[in-house]
Amino acid sequence: MRGSEREQQLSRAFVALADTLVADYDVIALLDQLVDHCTTLLDVDAAGLLLGDSRRELRVVAATSEDAELMELLQLQADEGPCLECYRTAAPVSVADLADTATRWPTFSAAVADIGAFRSVHALPLRLRGEAIGALNLFRGAPGPLPAPDLALGQALADVATIGILQEQAIRRGEVLAEQLQVALNSRVAIEQAKGVVAQLLDLGMDAAFDVLRRYARERNLRLADVARAVVAREVDRKALLAARRGPDPAPSEHGRRGR
Amino acid sequence: MGELGPVTTELLGVVRDGTDDKALAARICQACVRGLGVDGAALSLLTATEARQTLWATDPVAERLEELQFTLNEGACMEAARTGAPVLVPDLHHCTRTTRWPLFAAAVGEQTAVAALFALPLQWGAINLGVLDLYRAVPGALSEAERLDALAAADTAALMLLDQRTDPDNRFGGWLDHALGSRAEIHQATGMVLVQLAVSAEDALARMRAHAFVHQRLLIEVARDVVARRLVFTEDMM
Repeated sequence: MRGSEREQQLSRAFVALADTLVADYDVIALLDQLVDHCTTLLDVDAAGLLLGDSRRELRVVAATSEDAELMELLQLQADEGPCLECYRTAAPVSVADLADTATRWPTFSAAVADIGAFRSVHALPLRLRGEAIGALNLFRGAPGPLPAPDLALGQALADVATIGILQEQAIRRGEVLAEQLQVALNSRVAIEQAKGVVAQLLDLGMDAAFDVLRRYARERNLRLADVARAVVAREVDRKALLAARRGPDPAPSEHGRRGR
Repeated sequence: MGELGPVTTELLGVVRDGTDDKALAARICQACVRGLGVDGAALSLLTATEARQTLWATDPVAERLEELQFTLNEGACMEAARTGAPVLVPDLHHCTRTTRWPLFAAAVGEQTAVAALFALPLQWGAINLGVLDLYRAVPGALSEAERLDALAAADTAALMLLDQRTDPDNRFGGWLDHALGSRAEIHQATGMVLVQLAVSAEDALARMRAHAFVHQRLLIEVARDVVARRLVFTEDMM
């Protein structure tokens, strides 16, 4: 990417993120937007965000694709992998070549090898007062280190995620981080359930179903989690969801890019 | 890395041996009273269908708190259930939060000696399993350690209740695995099956678990088949 083009993309991304942060906003939508920015701004092919739950176990809260293989790679890291290490040490973990990690993380490495799409992986901590509340996971198809500017920008995006989570807490007043994480993670579960409802009702894949939920929420200025609850309770009829689905099916997505 | 608190540790040690909601609610409430420095606890079911029921209350005051909320249709526990976020009120008499439920706050002041109230929602995504209400007779916030323990305990309790209600006959003989929380396919399949069968999310999960049991498969395998559309649930299948 040329320097000036990237600069423009970068300012657009941060303006959009800042916009999201000023008013009453939707933390899940913010995190979702943020992982998408990772693949457009950084030289990476897929990204995911994991947060620690009340038992300090990592759970996926946003990913650039609903692709089952990517989700599996993220979910596996509750037990082992660069994200877990990053979360525990609150320091970045970079793996220039995943071929070298078979003994360190056998299950994770085997899963990566099975998929065959990724050669290197980077995990950046969501830092808060010397600890990590989660980790941003970046996957690349090519081996090698992530260039220093990308690493710095990735960390800035991870910091924005932390601020976003804290900011929502400040807006809601009185509540503290642990509550906020719990609410965000439970919202994610509700959104997954709602995606299933939409996928079944409209005969869509999970990516397209998620797009429907996002459009429905955006058009009505509602929070994704609230829309998800209503959808699961079957309070939103099929017609209204169908109306939120514009355009043709997104093409089957390559790794990491959300088809739009 | 933080250690698990005493209440969460106690709940994790509970062996699933019964099929009784009330006995489980009693154990959860009692563990909270022992480990969180609160005077009483109650666990109520609050479902979308307005079915409200107090499963367990450790004392008459805790029971009265639940009755008041149900009668007045407002209060900390109702707010927690609606928003999915904990409602922590360390001092009921000096808190702006109570303006959101003025009738309940007034009634608690007149009829009980409750000074602090903590309501923790027990949810699984969009499924409302209930609310755990804790109270203190003297004002005071939960300590940092108590608060973290209470949240992790509520997470654990939610999973136990979900297990109890989606496997009422205890055929699986153990609690749902906490790791299920991070399996997106299970949540997605729950959404698909609830449409296929026109049932609630809770019943959809129960049907998937029953199917897994009958066919001797893992729940995650069944969920993957549903998401991949290799398996469609119909009313007459098992």
